[in-house]
Amino acid sequence: MGSADPFNRLVKLAARAFYDDITTKGENQQKTGRSDNRGIAVVVLDTLTKRQWVREEDLAKDLKLHTKQLRRTLRFFEEEKLVTRDHRKETAKGAKVYNAAVAATGDSQQTGREGDDKQKMHVHSYCCLDYAQIYDVVRYRLHRMKKKLKDELESKNTIQEYVCPNCGKRYTALDALQLVSPYDEYFHCESCNGVLVAESDKLAIQDLGDGDDNARKHRHDKIKDMLSKMEVQLKPLIDQLARVKDLPIPEYGNLQAWEARAHASGRSANGDLTASDPSKSSQGFGFGGTPMPYVGETKVGLLRNFFHFSCEVEVAFSGIGEKGEMVKSETPMKVLPPWMIKDGMNLTKEQRGETKAETKTDSTLTAPEVSDDKKSSTVNDEKKSIQDEYVKAYYAALLMRQREQEETMNRPEPANTISNEDYYTTTERQVGMKSKRDEDHEGDDVNWEEAGPTTGGQTRQFKVDLNEEAEASEEEDDIDWEEG
Amino acid sequence: MFFHMVLERNMQLHPRHFGRDLRDKLVAKLMKDVEGTCSGHHGFIVAITGIESVGKGRIRDGTGFVVFPVKYQCVVFRPFKGEILEAVVTMVNKMGFFAEAGPVQIFVSNHLIPDDMEFQPGDIPNYTTSDGSVKIQKESEVRLKIIGTRVDATEIFCIGTIKDDFLGVISDPGANS
Repeated sequence: MGSADPFNRLVKLAARAFYDDITTKGENQQKTGRSDNRGIAVVVLDTLTKRQWVREEDLAKDLKLHTKQLRRTLRFFEEEKLVTRDHRKETAKGAKVYNAAVAATGDSQQTGREGDDKQKMHVHSYCCLDYAQIYDVVRYRLHRMKKKLKDELESKNTIQEYVCPNCGKRYTALDALQLVSPYDEYFHCESCNGVLVAESDKLAIQDLGDGDDNARKHRHDKIKDMLSKMEVQLKPLIDQLARVKDLPIPEYGNLQAWEARAHASGRSANGDLTASDPSKSSQGFGFGGTPMPYVGETKVGLLRNFFHFSCEVEVAFSGIGEKGEMVKSETPMKVLPPWMIKDGMNLTKEQRGETKAETKTDSTLTAPEVSDDKKSSTVNDEKKSIQDEYVKAYYAALLMRQREQEETMNRPEPANTISNEDYYTTTERQVGMKSKRDEDHEGDDVNWEEAGPTTGGQTRQFKVDLNEEAEASEEEDDIDWEEG
Repeated sequence: MFFHMVLERNMQLHPRHFGRDLRDKLVAKLMKDVEGTCSGHHGFIVAITGIESVGKGRIRDGTGFVVFPVKYQCVVFRPFKGEILEAVVTMVNKMGFFAEAGPVQIFVSNHLIPDDMEFQPGDIPNYTTSDGSVKIQKESEVRLKIIGTRVDATEIFCIGTIKDDFLGVISDPGANS
């Protein structure tokens, strides 16, 4: 979904190129000045690029358009194969599912959607851009335009076609010999003997005047001009098509699939490692709508519990080496958004003021131990020499990180595993938050997201550390691959 | 366009021709059979210019006919799209005119006749310019360009245009007489 930007640009360009002066038919006959809704098509397409699946009522509300007018425009786009639509009967509950999906995708334009929940069974229409088809449609359109002009230009003497007005049968000039009649000077249809009519389906330019030879030349020039103009004016569009050619096309699937996926991705984006279905998360922390400090406390408890555990883990993998890395590499592989980590850290810092002393000593003790152990155990193994290098590098990075943290935060992080615990707990809390958000308001969501990038040095450092870890673990994974 | 090429054909010869001048009979029959025919692939076979080789004949069971595989050189004529030809007008009507260039028939529709020429019905239907200086009627010779061909297995039909520079009437039968 991240790669939708070039496609959105394509849609916008195409909208301006081809749908700029589209008016929805039927309307402009009744009213005059006010019904000049020529830009609507472009506006609608532009708005659709900012969304995925969207309910048409909401879209109309956002655009301040009448639903009928919007629907007419959308129907037009459906015919043009730019938009896929879905209609389904649904209750307030169904609408909720959609709302939840929208919330999960992080769209921040949910306005008055809560009011809709009271509706009974209603047919709702949804629409979404069909990027794959748009790509093809635009290409085909360009191809046809070019072909028509080129045909006209190169073989300006196209083969004449004849149509029988009675039976509709078509002939070309190549059939002329069979069509000629001995009695009069017309061509006659082979099947019904009607008089054939020459058909001229050339470009409209033809009626520009057929007085003399100049007209023909004039027309020729005009077509040439048109072709070159077309190439210049549509160049941005063609360039965009070329750019998009090798990119994976964003595929939102049908409405149901999209909703399901939006749920899932929304959850994973929030770093949900444990709870995989909404029921779980709602039963958990989210149920009470727990405020932040509370969550922090529970986390402290968890942290304490986990502290010993984590020590064990560290010792264990220092002996085995390979396995330990596997365990470790698992967690950083799941890329957590930076704002997540930051939040967790801040919380622990606030909440764990008392536990500082213990953790500090322990962590500083364990870390060097680990590295020593690891060295002694792995020197014997010649096979694992390469792997050891990674391990060494890894631990070096770990130590570095610990020191950095000690310096910057004046507070120790026991080891990697503990910070993993942080992820763990924060994610759970996150889940709770999310489910809560689904239920009532989305304000939190925005805050959360914005908090990430705006914070200063701390987060940045964490980010860097994470990246190092991730890289190291990836490399280790590679080695494992080769050996296994 | 004309081509000189070598073609092959299985000739069936009646036993009565078996004798001293078998080969002459074979060639005469080949000419009679082949010249003037049209094959979609090669075009019209205009004339046989020589015999390359005559293979061993095989007697067919029951009939006594003998089949000789004959390789012969010939001139073929095949019209191509874009080719300029000189042709004789054979028929003029409201829809355009038909012309013949050797064996090939060409139709020029009235859309492909210069816009300043107009159809004049009457005893001798013709296309005439407004000042009457150029006239296309039956027996006129025109230079035209082929813009489309339809090639069947045994027939080639073309459509042409005289709506281009240096195309049109090259000799007017009315002026000569």
